[in-house]
Formats: sequence, structure tokens, C-alpha cells
Amino acid sequence: MADVEVTKSLSGLLNGIAQMVYYNKREITEELLKNELYPEMPLEEFKALYEKMKGLIKSIATADMDHAQLEAFLTAQTKRQGGIGLSAEQAAALSRFWKSQRVRVRGSLLAQSRWEPSLRGLSWRVDLQTGDSYGNTVHRGPVALMELELGRDGQDSEFVCLEFDETKVNQVLKKMADIQESIDRIVCHT
Amino acid sequence: MSKNLKDVDQELFRKLLKAVVSALEGKDCREVMKSIAESSVIPQERLSHIIAGMHRVLSEAIRIPTSILKQETFKEDLRELRIPEDFIIDFSSVVFGNRRAALEAASSQNDPHLPTLEEFKWRVDVSISTSSLARALQPSVLMQLKLTDGSFQRFEVPVLKFQELRYNVALILKEMNDLEKKSILKIQD
Repeated sequence: MADVEVTKSLSGLLNGIAQMVYYNKREITEELLKNELYPEMPLEEFKALYEKMKGLIKSIATADMDHAQLEAFLTAQTKRQGGIGLSAEQAAALSRFWKSQRVRVRGSLLAQSRWEPSLRGLSWRVDLQTGDSYGNTVHRGPVALMELELGRDGQDSEFVCLEFDETKVNQVLKKMADIQESIDRIVCHT
Repeated sequence: MSKNLKDVDQELFRKLLKAVVSALEGKDCREVMKSIAESSVIPQERLSHIIAGMHRVLSEAIRIPTSILKQETFKEDLRELRIPEDFIIDFSSVVFGNRRAALEAASSQNDPHLPTLEEFKWRVDVSISTSSLARALQPSVLMQLKLTDGSFQRFEVPVLKFQELRYNVALILKEMNDLEKKSILKIQD
């Protein structure tokens, strides 16, 4: 295999593992990766490579390594003897992979420890009531309708609709300012 | 109603009116009505007619904006119904007085609504370490909403999403303020 091919297959493998393990893409399987990326490699050899890469990504991800930590970790791995050591190409591929996927993998790992449904999105509109079922023209203040999209990791969303008058919106906004202040206090200290 | 109002004195009329107004505001006035009925010399059937009439007059009048229904027109209409002059003044003070806002708000409760927020509690957490991440150190907001339909919603809001939520709530408030300033709404009155 040419060097370019080796590099390509390797980063394909790393990304495939990330899709399977961290991004819940069920259509990606070990078998698929083997057939698409390493069709000529004996199965045993592929299994060993797959497990090794999966283990390394797990170590890197669990520790959420920054650049310096990653370099030190990879250097140590390349120096290991007895066929379990990392090749220079593999170290480079892991380094590139982590650089592009760190934020996303971290996000996915954080989501794994989130058990309450989380806020996925919101949409809103502001309405004015102009009539009612008694056929009258009514003139009341504007009403905000809000739809919250909530969902647990890996599950479908649920939608909660509620309405607010101006006073309520104001109250909620004040609470949000309190929350922000509370977050800022923590973020400043860490 | 006018013939039933014969020999009803102003004191009784005001008691009844007060009870009807509080009923329109959504309060429970069964006890008050009962005590009026027990202490009054007017037969219960006539009282029922009077109360029903008051309820009708007031709820119809409240539904029309004051800019369209002028006080004089309202009084004129009541005179046509042969309501005694003293009572007309009392009616008028309810429809055009300072109870109006409360009555309007109460009557709007009858229109279909989505549930609204009754209680909003929150907590800010920082995950230190988790089973999948050695050092998470990630703040997140846990919110619990109690809605007027009695349901509870509890959900987590990651910090980034929280910023988005806060921004949107501020935007909604701005839109509502702008809308109130716009003159198109006033022209229609």
C-alpha cells in the first residue's frame, strides 16, 4: 500500500471508530470498516489494529488531552516495544484526528452523563389577539408563544409550548440574568 | 330586569352588584349570594332574574372597548331598558371605573390559552468528573418549570444553549415593547 493510502485508511478508521463509539452512528460497524478500508488485511490483524486504535482514542478522550499532553502520550506510545508500539504514521494520524474532533468528542462524552432531558432548541413568536369566539374585537397586550424542544441523548425530541405576557417575559429575563451571574462566578474562579 | 328591580333598594342593589362583579372576576361568590338571598325580602326567583340580568349587562359591556362604547351611550342604553337612574350610575362606575382592568383580564381567561409559567426554579451545576470524562469541569443549568396546567418540566441547559435562550427571551421582550409602541394598534380602536 502506498503511504498516502495508509494515511487515508488510518484516518478513515479513526473517524469510523469515533462515529461508532462517540456519535452513535449505528450504521457504521467493525465489519464495514474492515471491508471498506482494509479489504486485503487478514481479519486477525485488522481486529488487533482496531482494538488498539479504539483503546488509544478512549485514553485520549477520557483525559481530554490538550496538545502538549497528546504529544507526550503519543511519544511514549511509539517507544513501546514488542509490536505493540505505535508507528510514526499512526501517531501523526491520531494527532490530526484529535485536533479536529476534540471538541465534538468532549461534547458527546458530556452528553453521556446528562440524564435529564436537555434543551435542544427553541422557537417563538409574538402574537396579538384581535378577536374572540364571541365575535368581538379585543385589544390586549402582545402574547409571546414559546416552544421548547427537549430530549434525552439518543432519543426523539419532545415539545413544550407555553405562552407569556410581557410581565412574565420580564420576570424570566431577570432570572436569566441571575443565572448568568451565577455561571460567571464559577467560570471566573476556574 | 327592570320590573324585577322594582322596590329593590340601593343597598341591596349594590350588594348584588358587588357579588356579580366578583363572580365576573372569577371569585367564588356562592356564600355571599346565599346570605343575600336569606336576608332579603325579595323572592329568590326575582333575585335570580336580577343577578342574571346584571351579569349579562356587565359581561357584554366589558367586552366592548371603552373607545367604542362611550359612557353616555351605555347610560342611554340602560335607560332604554328602564333601569332606574341611581342603578345606572352604579353600573356605569363598574364598567368605566377602576375595576375595568381586572374585569377585562378575568374575561380574557375564558379565551383558549396555552399553559403559562407558574414557577421557575433553577440550579447551576458543575460536573467535576464523570464515568466517561476524567475532568469534565463543565457548568450547566438545571431548570424546573411549573406550568399552569399543573405539569412540571425539568431539563438541563448547557451553557451555550443557555446563552441562546437568554438572547431569545430578551429579543421577545424587545419585540413586545416595539409592538406596543406601533401606532397601527391604536388606529384600530
